[in-house]
Formats: sequence, structure tokens, C-alpha cells
Amino acid sequence: MTRLAGGLIDRSRVLNFTFNGRSYAGHPGDTLASALLANGVRLMGRSFKYHRPRGVVAAGSEEPNALVTLRDGARAEPNTRATGVELFEGLTARSQNHVGPLGFDMLAVNDLLSPFFAAGFYYKTFMWPRAFWEKLYEPAIRRAAGLGALSMQADPDAYEKGFLHCDLLVIGAGPAGLAAALTAARAGARVILADEDFRLGGRLLAESHLLNEAPARQWVAGLEAEFASLPNLRVMRRTTVWGAFDHGVYGAVERVSDHLPTPGEAPRQTLWRITAKRAVLAAGATERHIPFAMNDRPGIMLAGALRAYANRWAACPAKRVAIFTNNDDGHRTALDLAAKGVEIAGVIDPRPDAKPLGPYPVYAGSVVTDTRGRLGLSAIAVTREGQTQWLDAGALGVSGGWNPNVHLASHQRGRPVWDDAQQAFLPGAGIPGQIVAGAAAGKGSTHAALHSGAEAARAALQDLGLTAHLPDLPRAEDGAAPPHPIWHVPGKKRAWVDFQNDVTVKDIKLAHQENLRPVEHLKRWTTLGMATDQGKTANVTAIAVMAELTGQSIAQTGTTIYRPPYTPVSLAVLGGGDTGAHFRPRRLTPSHSWAKAQGAVFVEVGPWLRAQYFPRPGETHWRQAVDREVLATRAGVGLCDVTTLGKVDVQGADAGIFLDRLYANAMASLKVGMVRYGLMLREDGHAYDDGTCARLAEDHYIVTTTTAQAGPVYRHMEFARQCLWPELDVQLISTTDAWAQVSVAGPHARKLLERVVDGFDLSNAAFPFMGCAALTVCGGLRARLFRISFSGELAYELAVPARYGAALMARLVEVGKDLGATPYGTEALGVLRIEKGHAAGNELNGQTTAQMLGMGRMVSAKKDAIGTVMTRREGLMAETRVLVGLQPVDAAQPVTAGAHLFTEGAAQGTATDQGWISSACYSPHLGSMIGLGFLADGAARMGEVILAANPLQRQEVRLRVTSPHFIDPEGGRLRD
Amino acid sequence: MTDLTPICALGAEAPQQARFGALHLAENPGLGLASLALRRGQSAAEPALPDLVLPGPGGWAGTAGLAAFWTGPDMWMIEGPGQAEADFAAQVKAWAPGASVTEQTDAWAVIEIASSAGAAPLEALLARLVNIDLAGFGPGRAMRTGLEHLSVFVIRRAEDRVAVLAMRSAAETVWHALTTVARRQERGGP
Repeated sequence: MTRLAGGLIDRSRVLNFTFNGRSYAGHPGDTLASALLANGVRLMGRSFKYHRPRGVVAAGSEEPNALVTLRDGARAEPNTRATGVELFEGLTARSQNHVGPLGFDMLAVNDLLSPFFAAGFYYKTFMWPRAFWEKLYEPAIRRAAGLGALSMQADPDAYEKGFLHCDLLVIGAGPAGLAAALTAARAGARVILADEDFRLGGRLLAESHLLNEAPARQWVAGLEAEFASLPNLRVMRRTTVWGAFDHGVYGAVERVSDHLPTPGEAPRQTLWRITAKRAVLAAGATERHIPFAMNDRPGIMLAGALRAYANRWAACPAKRVAIFTNNDDGHRTALDLAAKGVEIAGVIDPRPDAKPLGPYPVYAGSVVTDTRGRLGLSAIAVTREGQTQWLDAGALGVSGGWNPNVHLASHQRGRPVWDDAQQAFLPGAGIPGQIVAGAAAGKGSTHAALHSGAEAARAALQDLGLTAHLPDLPRAEDGAAPPHPIWHVPGKKRAWVDFQNDVTVKDIKLAHQENLRPVEHLKRWTTLGMATDQGKTANVTAIAVMAELTGQSIAQTGTTIYRPPYTPVSLAVLGGGDTGAHFRPRRLTPSHSWAKAQGAVFVEVGPWLRAQYFPRPGETHWRQAVDREVLATRAGVGLCDVTTLGKVDVQGADAGIFLDRLYANAMASLKVGMVRYGLMLREDGHAYDDGTCARLAEDHYIVTTTTAQAGPVYRHMEFARQCLWPELDVQLISTTDAWAQVSVAGPHARKLLERVVDGFDLSNAAFPFMGCAALTVCGGLRARLFRISFSGELAYELAVPARYGAALMARLVEVGKDLGATPYGTEALGVLRIEKGHAAGNELNGQTTAQMLGMGRMVSAKKDAIGTVMTRREGLMAETRVLVGLQPVDAAQPVTAGAHLFTEGAAQGTATDQGWISSACYSPHLGSMIGLGFLADGAARMGEVILAANPLQRQEVRLRVTSPHFIDPEGGRLRD
Repeated sequence: MTDLTPICALGAEAPQQARFGALHLAENPGLGLASLALRRGQSAAEPALPDLVLPGPGGWAGTAGLAAFWTGPDMWMIEGPGQAEADFAAQVKAWAPGASVTEQTDAWAVIEIASSAGAAPLEALLARLVNIDLAGFGPGRAMRTGLEHLSVFVIRRAEDRVAVLAMRSAAETVWHALTTVARRQERGGP
């Protein structure tokens, strides 16, 4: 056991947990990392490339090494930083990236082969043969190098999303953030204070400093009490603000239940989108290490982390500890550890004039040049002016100074700026509305952090017109001398810069040698900073090493910038909990409940769920149901819910002019009480959408669209109304959902309708083909009737308020029994329209023109409309492919949509391509499959036999070219 | 009077309702809705709606018998409580003969949410559903916004009452979203 006295852990309770199957105990307040250290566990994982034994390096979210797979079964979560895991009873964790036990990893052979795995090794080696990459090299490399594995089971937990708004968002609850939140909240502003930790205080919790001569935790406790009393302040613990987006929007993940064995009823995590008028970024700083030979052994840590473990968690990885530091802060670790009874083997300080600050030996003017210990540090080599001596130590704290956490100031391409005085990159031109405070702004002493936080909040509120007064802040230490500029210790052995991606000083030298010197090239060639920690502990050091190699300054060398997320965010929480049946919204038709009761099989059509077909007892194959529905419709009467087609109500004195400009064909001339088929074009002259346009009154039309394009067409119409022609008197509103619309099609359609309309004359003379009217049905229910046909039969579409849709379907089936009234689904709908040669989404696919659809003459030359002029482009005029019907010569052969058309005997390639098949189905009427397609010179090739080919699968079917109208080409039935 | 039996947006003859702690959610199938859009050049003062002044942007106003909320420039949705079975659009058109009026009753599923414990549970619920700054969303406000990937109207009828209007066909999706969050809130606390 290496548990010390004190700390912010609750020793009255014991929490049992396992790591790699062994049982350990910790206390509430522990993280997995602190509890493992307290149990004497230093070895926590294997490195990415070389499978080197690794232990925890940091105490916070910057941790590069101690990645574990947390929990079991479906909840197993790989690549979880042990430093961020709050201990809970029954926690299980496993180390990653090893074959065999953690202590004897078979793949550690990679370490012996390390000369082969230098930067760029893969790029250079696995080039040939080309086909081997995907099948052999990549899978093998991925198995050997990497992180944890997914459970491959569905995540059993719930996730949710939410939205918050505030005047001031304070990111980080260390001294700067606490002072900022206090200042702003006391001023009455709406404040959110978020911190990734489960305890407020940030670095204050890790230090032994006094605030007003008392432990800092007392000041924090007082603040927490005041915060709880302020209704305008929302404190969000366990909440990582991970991205700064446009317009003051910040992404944050609250780990609601991650600290519990299972979430129970609560969500596991919540994704918050916080809209903040202003923000104070008080994210603190991350300590940097100093690469030296063999600096990656378990037990070698950041000095500040070593101190944090001792002060906050009462844990220390070893009984005898050394420190390697180029600054005074490292000496604090020695002081604090010594005060807690840890033996200090020595503080190795390259500054020649370094003096001890307490009772411990100092090795001034010295550096660490080597280490020993296979699975954990046992000794370090200390070298002064060429003389080396070995010191026994089970842990080594390394401090190379501190890097401000500028990440969230960089998310909109703000480039950090090098500051020579502070020897650090400070936030550059940051994000509008965001002020950086505390250590994140290079104000790292407790005194400076407190005051800069309060001042940042005051300034932010002043911007908003709110007056804030600076609070009385506690007296605090104010010592922060910049580090002595030593960035690495030269040596022959490997010295790691980026622990997580196994990038060494040698790799950087190699990148320099191969002229990959700009930081962006350096990063990509060596993979430096590209691991899950984004190089938080590595980047600046690497830049400094490169600067040294090129002889440039660090400022000249520059830095890469950071992207969201600040720390890894699970895809589950980004999804916001939308999974399975609720992955996306689902729209149900008005007759859905009725169709379900009839045993309908449903199909997804965009967001809609539509009845695909209505199987009857004895029907064992979907085709039997569909064929029956098609034949019943053509012989008697079929009923189909067509509510999904978009409906747009168009009113206004200029409605006719408006529609004339939208549709390629004329609409202003449409008579009241009549319907016209309409074709809309895109700006580029291609067909956009088709539908019908009914005129209910001089100043009132109803436009219908295809199901798929209902939204886009409505948006297009609104754009035209608001932006293109705001001078027109036109009002639009969607009525798609307001009305249930039922297609009543077949020779008995009129007879059936006569049984439900209230004394409305349906005779051909009174209500001809393409007529429309408002009427009542079923004893006074307001309704609309349109005599239009998609099936080619005598057909109507009857609309009633949506709440009556299901009842209307039931009524029509009931009163139409003797007429053979048969509900049909989308499959039969498709067959009916293909038999009739009507275009649908397959034909209106964005690549076709009116001319290709056989509707060239619909594009009116008498008026202008969107797309009309562009249809006259040479390229479109020269297009010869037109819509044709296709029937197999051998009726047993299939017609396959997507197949391409070729002349018999010709070569099959793009140069000889004659067109393609857009729609295909089995036609019970013709007793074979049929298709619609676009064929070059199609109009002139009626009767010709062509080939439908799928050269990829070497399939060929001989098809005869026909008219696309397989049924009633004269249209007699429609007008019957 | 028709002899057809209507169903509610959630598919049953009776409106759905559910209670989760302080929150009560109920489908409101009785609300008559009609959109009212001014013709070009027409004044907002022209429609003669009884005891109702059409509210400005983001506003909802009304009495127990008739209400309206702003839906866009020169455009409102008129609410007629209990008028769903009547030809409410014809009634509105009679009040505003010069305007464009369109029946909207069945275009929307209307879910009324009431809190028995003041604004807090209601606002906690809204925060997990819609991106609305609740500080500016007191009684008398109405917003069109996204909820569960759908476009909805949210109306703050009172401190402790909110209505959500979603496209009728997506009623089930919206009900699921609302009740999931409300249930979690009841069991886990906000």
C-alpha cells in the first residue's frame, strides 16, 4: 500500500474494485488512477506501437497512458482515462493493447524491433504490393497497434440532449473560474459554471497552498455554500465543455451516471448545447514533461500530478521519489511529498544555481539521462558535467513548465502565440465573446488566477451592460517564475515526446532529416499529437525540439491548433439518445391504425411508414398480395392512402402568376374547379418535381408534390415567394397533414363514391376528368374531391380532415364490398403507375429533363418559369434519351432497375451506353416483368430488341422497346 | 353530423394523457386551428377577431374562447378551443374576409403540458427538448423551433402551462420524446 495521510477521500467507506481481475479497495473521492497508485499499482497499460509497459503520467484529462477498458459486457468502454474515472463499488477495469498478461505482453517484441518502427515506417514499407495493404498489412498493424476494443454489443444505456442559455459560461472551476462565477453570479447575471471534475476547485484541490491562511478547500467549501443559494448560477460538475462553436454556442457533455455502477432510470450522459452571451475560459494549464532517455517507465510522471495524487488523493506510487524539474514548481512537489513523509531521493534541476526549498537533496546543474526498471521505475541516472550516478527511486516527477490550456480558444482557428517571457503558447486571437483567464491565459499563480478570473467576469458583464463588483478575494501565493528553457535531454536511447502515439525525439529528428519540418508536416509524418489526447502533454515539447533542430525560434516554428472535442466524446451522446425505432422521426398516415388492424405490411418511405401491401390468409408471398391488389383495382375498385403526397395551400391575388412562374406549364389559365398536372423544373432546366395543381377559387390553389419532395418543394416555393418575387400577393401554408387523402381507383370508383357523397353529382358531365370540388361526405363531413388518376383507371382522390382518414377507409371498404373494393399498398401503387407509364421518383431523379420524360411540350414557350430558359441549352436540346417501356422477349426473364441498355452485339462500356432502366415490376396484366427506362433515340426504336446489361455481374436480358404506356395508351379509362 | 368516428393524432378514439410527477401531458384534440395570412397591403388591424388583437413576433394572445400566435411576418395561427369539429377556418374567414385563411386543425397534434409545481419542472422539461432561451419565454410567448428533429410550435400559455404543436403524422414521435424526458425527470429528478 502506498496510501498517505490526509487527502480528500472518505476513508469511512471502502469501495471494492478489480483491475485485470485482481481485487483492490479504494475510497469515495478516489479516481481509478489514484486508487491503483494507492494500491501500489504502477503498471496500467501497454503503449500504442512498441507495447512498452506504461503507467499513469498525469492526474487529469490530459492523461496519455493510463487508458483502460471500463466495465464489462455491453457496457464495456475502451480507452477510458483512469484519471477521470470516479471510483464506484464493483468497478471493473482491464488494461489494453497486450497479448497475454499485462506484465508479459507477447507483442512487446515490437519494442525490440523499434528501429524498424520509426516515423514514416508504414508509409515507406507497406507500399507494395498494392493489394496487400487492405487485406494483409492494415489488419495486422491494426491488431498489433492500437487501443481497446469495442464490446460489439448494443449500448444498453440512455443518452439525452438539452439546451441551456446564459449570460456567462465559465469553463473550469479552478481559482480563476470560481472567482469569475462568483463575480458574475453576485452581479445577478445568469451564469453556468462547468467543470470536468466531480469536485469544484481545480488545481486548488491538488495544492497545499493556503488561502487567507487556511487550506484552500475551506474557501472552496464556503463558495459552494454560496453558489447553492444563488438561483441564477447553475453549477455543472462532471461536465466537460468540449467545443466552442459559432454564435456563442458551446458543446458540453455532462457525465450524469458515469460514476455509478449502472445509470438506473437516469441517462448515462447528457449532451448540452450551451448558448452563452459571453464565456470565460478558465481551463487551467497542463504540465509538460522533459524527454530524456527511457523516460516512459511506469512511475515516471508529471511532477504536478505526483503532487496532486499526494495532496488530493493521499496516494503516491512509491516510497522513495525523485524530481526532475527546470522550474520552482517542481520543487513544490518535493516539499509537499516530503511533508507527507515520502522520502525524496533528490531534486534534479538543470539550473546551475538551483537551491533546495526544503529538507531534500538537490542535484543542481544536472539532468536525468537514463532509467532502469522493466515494469516500473527502479533507478534513474543523474548526470552532471559528464559524471553520472544512479539514484534508486520508485517514482520520478518531471516538470518542464506549464502549457496554458488554450484549446477552446483555438476552436475557431485562433492560433496560439508564443510568449518568450512565459516560455509558453498563450491564446491568440480567440473566439468572439470569450475571455481567457487564469493559467489558461498564462496567469498561473493562485493570486493571478483568482484576480484574472474575477476581472474577466467583470469585463464580460460590462459588455452586456451589467455592473459587477470585484469580490474580496483571498490572499494567495503569487510565485510563478518561467522555467529554465531546457526542452529535452539529448541522448542515444529513445526519449518519448508523445507517450500515447509512441513518438520519440528520434522520430522528430527523422522528420527534420526528411524535410518534414513545418509543424503540420511533423504532426502527420510522426503522428505526434494525433492520439486521443490530442498531444496535450506532447505538442509544445515537440515544437521546441523541432525549433532546436532547425535553429529557428519556437515563435518562428509556430504551432498546430486544436479542434473540438477537447477530450473524446462518445458517439452515443452525440446521437443524443436517438436509437432503434426512435433513431429518426416517424410519420404515420391517417389510416395507419386501420391498416395495421388489417394486417398490412409497412415500408419506410422517407420518414413515412406506409402500407406496402395487405396480405390475405393463404398468401405466402408478397407478390401474391400485390398481384391481387393490382388486378382488383383494374377490375373493380382499389383504395390507397395517398396522404403522404405534399399539399400546399396557395392563396392570394397573384397566386396564378406565382404558379405560372414556378411550373414549366401554365397554371394561371386553369379554370376554377379544375386540376392540371404540373411539372416544376430546377434552375438548371432539369425536372424537379411533379404533381397536380387544383384551383378551388380565383385566388386559391392547392398544389400537390411527390412524397419525397414535399419538404424541399415547399421550401422552394417559400424561397420564391419571399426572396424572388416578394412583390406578389401570395400566401402559402402546408396542409399535408391536415387532410387524409384516399385514392379511389378502378372502373367502379364512381359507383363506390356515389355511396358516400352527400348528393354530389359525380356524372362525367357534372364532374369530368380533372375536375375538383369541395363537398361533404358521410353525412356532412367536409371533404375535397379531385378526379385525377395515377393508375390509369377511372380514379378520384378524396380528402377529409385527417382525424377521419381511418374511418373513411373503413367505410369505403365496407360499402364497396360488392364492388370488390380492395385496399392496396405502395407496391401495387408502383405497379399501377409503371403499367400506365407515369413518372415517379425513379424517373424524376435529378438527371432527367422534361424532354426525356416525354413532356417537352409541357415547357411553355408562352411564358417564363424557373428553369425554362435553361431547358433550351444546347446540351439539353441534344439529349435523345427518352422514356420508353421495356418488356422481356422471353417473358420469364427479369427486368432489373438500374441495368444499362446496349445495342445487341455492341461493346458494353460507357461510350456505347444507350440508357438505363429506371423502374421495373411484375405486371400481372401482361404476365411478365416490365420496365420503364431512358433510351437514346427511344421514340424511333419502338419494337427494337435491345440488351439490358449488368457488365459487372455479366448479366444480359433481351428486351423489346415499347411505349411506356402498357395500359390504356389512349387514356379512355380516365375519362370514362 | 357525420357518422364517421374520428380518431386522435395518437391513433386512439380517446386523447392520450399521462402524469409524471408534477407534469401532466395530454393530447388536445378539441383545438380548432386556422392559419390567417394578411393579403399584400392589408393591415393587421383589419381582421375583426372578437376580443383578440393579433400579437407581434414571438407572441401568443387570447382569451378562453379564441387565441392567436404569430407564425411569421403577417401570419398567425388562430386557435379555437373546442372548435375542432366545426368548420373553424370558415368561421375565421368570416371574421377576416380579406385575408387568406387555411384550415389547420388536423395538420397538428396538440399536446398540452401542465405543471402542478410551478414553472420549474416545466422549464426543466423544455430545456431537454427545445433550444429556447427560457428567460425570454414567459406566458404569452410562442416559438417555432426544432424538437426531436421536427419543426414544432411551443406556446407558453401560462407560467405552469405549455402547448406543443407538432405535425400530426409525427404525433407518436413527439409524444415519445416528451414522455421519455418527463418520465426520466420524475424518476431521476432534473
